Amino acid sequence: MNRTRALVAIGVTALLSSAHVGSPDTWFEGMAGPYPVRVVIRAPGVVPGLSEITIRVSGGGVHRVTATPVIWNTGAGGIPPADEAKPVPGDPELYSVQLWFMRVSSYSVHVTVEGDKGTGTVQVPFQAVATRQLPLDRPLQIALSIAGLVLFAGAVTLIGAATRESVLPPGEEPDRRRRILSLVAMVASAIVLGLGVIGGRAWWNSVEAEYRETMYRPFAAKATVAASSGGPTLDFEILDSVWRARGWTPLIPDHGKLMHLFLVRDSLGEGWAHLHPVALDSNRFETRIPALPAGHYRIYADIVHESGFAQTLLASADLTGEATPRGWSPTDGDDSWLVARANEAVGAGGAVKLGDGSTMTWETSATKVDPKVDAGLRFKVMEPDGKPAQLEAYMGMEGHAIVERSDGKVFAHLHPMGTAAMASQLSFEVRQPGDTGRGNVGRTLTSEPDLMSAAMMHEGEPGVVEFPYAFPQSGTYRVWVQVKIGGRVQTGLFQLNVP
Amino acid sequence: MATTAAASAPSLSASRSQTRALSASWVLYAVLVSSIAIVVGLIWDISWHRTVGRDTFWTLPHVLEQLAAIVTGFSCGWLVLHTTWAGTPEARAASVRFWGFRGPFGAWVCIWGTLMMITSAPFDNWWHGAYGLDVKIVSPPHIVLLIGMAGIQLGAMLLALTAQNLAPDRSAARAGLLYATAGAVLVTMGGTAMMEYAGFPNDTHNALFYQVTAGVFPVLLIGTARAGRLRWPATTTALLYMGIILVMSWILQLFPATAKLAPIYNPVTHMVPPPFPLLLVIPAVGLDLLLRWWGPRRDWRLALMAGPLFVGLMLIHWWWAEFLISPHARNWFFGADQWDYSLRLGKWRYQFWNLDKDAAGVWSPRLFFKGLAIATGIGFASARLGLWWGNWMQRVRR
Repeated sequence: MNRTRALVAIGVTALLSSAHVGSPDTWFEGMAGPYPVRVVIRAPGVVPGLSEITIRVSGGGVHRVTATPVIWNTGAGGIPPADEAKPVPGDPELYSVQLWFMRVSSYSVHVTVEGDKGTGTVQVPFQAVATRQLPLDRPLQIALSIAGLVLFAGAVTLIGAATRESVLPPGEEPDRRRRILSLVAMVASAIVLGLGVIGGRAWWNSVEAEYRETMYRPFAAKATVAASSGGPTLDFEILDSVWRARGWTPLIPDHGKLMHLFLVRDSLGEGWAHLHPVALDSNRFETRIPALPAGHYRIYADIVHESGFAQTLLASADLTGEATPRGWSPTDGDDSWLVARANEAVGAGGAVKLGDGSTMTWETSATKVDPKVDAGLRFKVMEPDGKPAQLEAYMGMEGHAIVERSDGKVFAHLHPMGTAAMASQLSFEVRQPGDTGRGNVGRTLTSEPDLMSAAMMHEGEPGVVEFPYAFPQSGTYRVWVQVKIGGRVQTGLFQLNVP
Repeated sequence: MATTAAASAPSLSASRSQTRALSASWVLYAVLVSSIAIVVGLIWDISWHRTVGRDTFWTLPHVLEQLAAIVTGFSCGWLVLHTTWAGTPEARAASVRFWGFRGPFGAWVCIWGTLMMITSAPFDNWWHGAYGLDVKIVSPPHIVLLIGMAGIQLGAMLLALTAQNLAPDRSAARAGLLYATAGAVLVTMGGTAMMEYAGFPNDTHNALFYQVTAGVFPVLLIGTARAGRLRWPATTTALLYMGIILVMSWILQLFPATAKLAPIYNPVTHMVPPPFPLLLVIPAVGLDLLLRWWGPRRDWRLALMAGPLFVGLMLIHWWWAEFLISPHARNWFFGADQWDYSLRLGKWRYQFWNLDKDAAGVWSPRLFFKGLAIATGIGFASARLGLWWGNWMQRVRR
């Protein structure tokens, strides 16, 4: 029983330290050639593990849907044959397939749709990492315990029968000496088998400890706030020894930035920022801090490796609330921040006023948002005159949404394409078979800065931005939705309880 | 020390009719065939994981193993129920009691092995969910499974043994061959289970190879031989072991197959065979001669001789492996140089692994020979256990 509790505790702890922070599933929306697709990859939680993939293809005329997991550094010869996704009964647009992820690595899942409009493929980034540990649930625990006891007693009885009767000619009854011998053998075998069981338990525990060591943890990092004549600055340093020893592929820019850093004041307090530090070297990043209220802030730093592997690094810092000096400007032109407390009444279906007087409405017909199902993150922005706002590209996207649970155990940085980082997907798309050297893909992405913005802006309903996502667990969440209108970034803050 | 078959001749003649019934019993053949099917399924399953990769409960090798376990469980279960409630007095007299039921001892061991295999299934399934698919042979749930399989194989041996030990002289050879076959299946299981440590020719230049083989094989070969009625029991068992592995290797290579999981670093085109079997026949001949010369009643001295003799004769693999990693062995017969789909091929294929190196990273003859000395000690202990086991098996009558 204690063991079960311990495993549950470990499981919870593990979930908190997964990529994207507590939000391990991948939600993706894009185009497989001419076919709009929404792909959900349920993280297996262990590696090697089996993942459930669902693919929704809108528009009909689909003949066949397949999916293939591909590791970032295998060439065309390393790709296994595709698995066919089967139609889900009762939903003509939904397909489902199970895929094995055999290695801890950065994968792209190739989703191919064949239909009346031809064949189209899209690559969905997915990170196969071990993030959870299963508890041994009670029915299985009881069943295995009973089986173990029966087998143990059976083995001891067999040893007893072996010494008592098995060597006697048919029909002969065992004498007293043989019965005593049998009893001694049974006691001795029970001791030996008991030692074997203890040894097995020690082995199991060592496997568990070894597994825990291999579970995914983001790079260790620390944040330091320093005062300077130009206002307070934040120094973010990656401490991971393997990274510092060049054991990982280098970073690539995501939306043109090597790092997206979020400052989130805890206890649902007001004060939030989306910053883009500059790299001082491969380990240290620095940014000026805008005028935020004093308090304890959680820090989430999103980075993407050339392999397509995306990480959210964690740190924290205390801000003193120091005002910015005259003439202060942010480190990066795309930095944005918000000093506002969420109105608890403004959740799903609610509306908030933006800084320029526009109104942002969370359009949903759902009365409540359940965990693990599509959260329906669809937002419509209306200008003060009641017309749909003309949304501009904010770092190549129609919008950004940042989700955080009140205890900081869940964090996700979303885009209209879903949970995957844009740079991850591009790294797979631009990678050529000969790109085996470090830095090749990064150079391609930085040499073509329009690649990202060209890829992501698409025609849709005016003033509307959507984010495919599901809240992974229950709790109180805040959602910051960022759009760009008239050259200025506007941030709407929503708060909701997921039961 | 040991009660020989001849010593129990009066009882033997009294139960000849029943003995014939048992030796011809369909249960013995069903269990023996199942036992062979299990080891065939195991070798096939390993090849499947090395070639195709994609794992479900319903892969063909899994189905074969499960079917074999079901056949064993049902046939032995039927035998026990029949003996308990509808058995002839002779059949009941030739059985052992177990929790109020009666049946041949081998049947009970088979039933226990079947339960062990069944127990491993939900355990293994949970293990995959908790720690990921364990793509290796030696893991806790796999050990539970392997012990269950070995239980069935041991039960098959005991059923054949009872038939052999009670058989009149003229039919002893047939019963002895059945017993040797059952023993060979157990030896094959042992050899397959330790494949990760001592299965590949590349392992033969490290002391661990000799320690593992000295631990596993003397107990099985000597135990089987001591109770066998054939002229060359250990040799026959070793030849059958090599035959099973070779036939599996030759057959598997004929079937086209491709990997179905990423990453594929080695695009295989046919089922990957097991490595060429160990030349167990050489130490087995030595052990047979030793058993003949020293006979019973001098088992401690025999075990003391058997340890170094086994390790010394196993050293033939030091040179044999050099052939197996050479281009001359890269053909259908020897099945060499065929590797998993998920391995990045490199020079390691033609190198010896896990060499006993000193702190400077240089191969150390001192460390190697020290390891061989330990292997000799392990061989002695294994041989002594085998003799105890064999002496008991020699006397099994039920």
